[in-house]
Amino acid sequence: MAEEFASAPHFVGARIPRTEDSRLLRGEAQYLDDIQIPNLLEMAFVRSPYAAARILSVDSSAAWNIPGVRAVFTFADMPFVLPQNGPSPIDQPVLARERVRHAGEAVVAVVAESRYIAEDACEAVHVAYTPEEPVLDMQAAQKDRPRRVHDAAPNVFYHQEYETEGFQAAFDTAPHRLTMTFQTTRQTACSLETRGIIAAADPFSGRMTVYCGTQSPHRLRGDLAEMLQMEEHLLRVIVPEVGGAFGMKAATYPEYLAVVQAARLLRQPVKWTADRVESFLSDVHARDDIHDLEVAFDQRGQIIAVKDHLMADGGAYASYPFSGAIGETSLAAKVITGPYDIAHLSTVIDCTYSNKVPLGAYRGVWGPVASFVQEGMVDRIAQFLHLDAAEVRRTNLVQPNQLPYRNAAGMLYDSGSFTESFEHALAQLDYTRWRATQEQARRVGKYLGIGLSNFVEPTAMASSEAGSIGYESCSVRVEPSGTVTAWLGLGPSGQGHETTMAQVLADQLGVDLEHIVVLHGDTDAAPLGGGTGGSRSGPLGGGAAMQAGRKMRERLDVYAAHMLEAAVEDIAWEHGRAHVRGVYARHVSLRDIARIAYNDVRQIPSGLPIGLEVTERYQPPRPVSFSNGTHAAVVEVNPSTGQVTVLDYVVVNDCGTLINPLIVEGQIHGGVAQGVGAALLESLVYDDSGQLLTTTLMDYLLPSAPLVPRMRIEHLVTPSDGALGVKGMGEGSLIASPAAIAGAVNDALSPWGVSFERLPIAPRDIVTSLGRSSAAPV
Amino acid sequence: MTTVDIAFLLNGRPVSLSVEPRLLLSDALRHHLGMTSTHVGCEQGVCGVCTILLDGAPARSCLMLAVMADGRSVTTAEGLSDPLAEQLRDSFQEHHALQCGFCTPAMLLTAHCLLSAHPEAGESQIREALSGNLCRCTGYQFIIDAVSSLTERGGEGDASHG
Repeated sequence: MAEEFASAPHFVGARIPRTEDSRLLRGEAQYLDDIQIPNLLEMAFVRSPYAAARILSVDSSAAWNIPGVRAVFTFADMPFVLPQNGPSPIDQPVLARERVRHAGEAVVAVVAESRYIAEDACEAVHVAYTPEEPVLDMQAAQKDRPRRVHDAAPNVFYHQEYETEGFQAAFDTAPHRLTMTFQTTRQTACSLETRGIIAAADPFSGRMTVYCGTQSPHRLRGDLAEMLQMEEHLLRVIVPEVGGAFGMKAATYPEYLAVVQAARLLRQPVKWTADRVESFLSDVHARDDIHDLEVAFDQRGQIIAVKDHLMADGGAYASYPFSGAIGETSLAAKVITGPYDIAHLSTVIDCTYSNKVPLGAYRGVWGPVASFVQEGMVDRIAQFLHLDAAEVRRTNLVQPNQLPYRNAAGMLYDSGSFTESFEHALAQLDYTRWRATQEQARRVGKYLGIGLSNFVEPTAMASSEAGSIGYESCSVRVEPSGTVTAWLGLGPSGQGHETTMAQVLADQLGVDLEHIVVLHGDTDAAPLGGGTGGSRSGPLGGGAAMQAGRKMRERLDVYAAHMLEAAVEDIAWEHGRAHVRGVYARHVSLRDIARIAYNDVRQIPSGLPIGLEVTERYQPPRPVSFSNGTHAAVVEVNPSTGQVTVLDYVVVNDCGTLINPLIVEGQIHGGVAQGVGAALLESLVYDDSGQLLTTTLMDYLLPSAPLVPRMRIEHLVTPSDGALGVKGMGEGSLIASPAAIAGAVNDALSPWGVSFERLPIAPRDIVTSLGRSSAAPV
Repeated sequence: MTTVDIAFLLNGRPVSLSVEPRLLLSDALRHHLGMTSTHVGCEQGVCGVCTILLDGAPARSCLMLAVMADGRSVTTAEGLSDPLAEQLRDSFQEHHALQCGFCTPAMLLTAHCLLSAHPEAGESQIREALSGNLCRCTGYQFIIDAVSSLTERGGEGDASHG
């Protein structure tokens, strides 16, 4: 692909430290709550203490009397909704309208001169409720029991069925069948920076400036305009530094509408930042899946057919614009066979309402449960047939000569390295040695387990939690001084796009990295794009940067050829200078060209426009591009305490061309850590009355440094046929890791015949089930 | 509301202000004194992004009232300026030890305290020392590498973790 670059050196592929880091390391970066605006008011919410109730009355008179309180709003004051145009017919009100449908739903918004005063005032607001019976069990909810969450609609808001032709015959005639039920409890992204938003009228133009840590700046602007009936060009969204997002910050939330509307009504800047309790009660939750599964296979362990009833508890409303329940199930149904060659599939999907927080996106939506199901099923088959777990995987993996491969759900795996990544992972791990060690350890009462997880990761899709824009955009300007400024429509939150996009541009333009600045997240400056989500920023943002850079270079080549009196084909670029190929003495700098382009425009070669600015949009050649890889974990389980220690962790990852291996590895490390949490720690627990019991970080446990293993990573490179050969990779590590760790725990506990089919597996789960089990360890 | 006058050393310079008794130290630092590297992640004393050095030792500023800082010495990441601090910043960048950066100032403070007291620390000790600072992005590995590389072992590490 050498012709894609202006010249050596190639920045794409280099382990380049990030340009973002300096401001972050000096504590100078401005996150939402760091922004100082004069006369800024703060909002706090009175939230429902009930999972389900009728609102009888709201008495805010005492709140109004507190000095510093500026407004108390109910739905009547801001009668807006987050509309649902999709399968869910139920709109979500900005503030509760007559009924509350989950504990934590915002009922009243108070605006005051400080957050302290606003919270005082919230306590002074008296809301009278008549509690109703909450809907909390998704399987009962499917039958509208104990009742409907919304009178106007059945609880099942999304139902789909799919079956391959000949499924039933294949299933019925298979030599063996097993039944199992897999479950992931509710989890959430839990970014360390909570959500927040500021709305402030711009004193120069009178327009509304909205600061918000969103993943999708242009979409948020469009949503606010549509829902609050404002003109889009009178809104400007600026994304400040974002302290983690992980899909959760892609949604448009009721609080966002409340803050912007309050700033309009009060004609004064208003801010809201969530505290951690509010985060747990109002950030979209994730996962919460049940898979009732039947699998048919032959005596070699070759899987013939899979039948899966996929269920997800969507919560009180379908989160806007992306229902996590639909995402979790409909995407899982398309890749539930993973990298295994399984001919027949039958899926039924049911997504239901409940009186819980709405379900939305968290990194890897659908993936962690699908991998857990798919790898769990393979392990059960191996156990049943007394075959080695690795051998059964070999039997089922899609072979290189089958690629491109269309799976049983109709998804096309464009390219990949399924068998290669698996064999490399086994070799990296030294699988055979660990099997021997496991055997020896058992004799001395130590229980080791090995977990294997082969994953596919659909990336760069047109639709994700970021929205439904199937392209990404990049504007490039060579400044009059010869430096380069680029803008993208992305909404990064720590992924290092300022560095990686600059790497792509540097190679296209033949300039050094330090002469490029990449900006994002300001709808006044960035070209309209989709934002960050669904592992799209690398392949689509990178594609846009490549295309814009190339377009700019083509124009620069014409300048250089004209000025050097050479043919365009003979122009090469290096360090911001063009020379005639092979003749370094004949050169012209980007600065020289920029001077002509802006200030000496009569010298511009004929046919070229004045100035050096381009905007390009990149749409990938395929609707989806598949990354893949293998995770392998070794754990030790202490049977008396239930403690799980990860002893070794190997990742073989194939995301096509790597723009920056350092950043890719950082993404993998972070995803595996979240997978450790998903497998062993993280669970949002509701009690029988619909109260969320886990509203602190003392109850909802995140992995800390001693718990997360050291990971060993190997990269394989099977390029996509999209720009630069890049595939997305933000989610694969969290897709694969819970299955690897859970599989290892189950393997360790195999002497007891115990096998967990529900995540997370907490120490008490292990201790309890070993205590109950009659089988003694061998 | 009544206020209390307090005075303390902030990053080596004396500051004085008048605060409500209920004002959290984290809020005083962030919103009254402009030290916004002191982040707030949970106000439950768990996540550690509000970490400051109080008389040289790591402390949770979200679990303290501003009045409790009276007469003490408070260091935030803005005030970390000695050679070790600069080495840590360089090492964090070189090792890609930060992503969203929200936990980073607190990580630097804790790591600085650890390396000052235990320049010989191995990987397990570093992980233990950082166990009160949560990071949701990096999986810790590159943070550990960044800190390890500045120990007397120079990142040779020990085999006791993993």
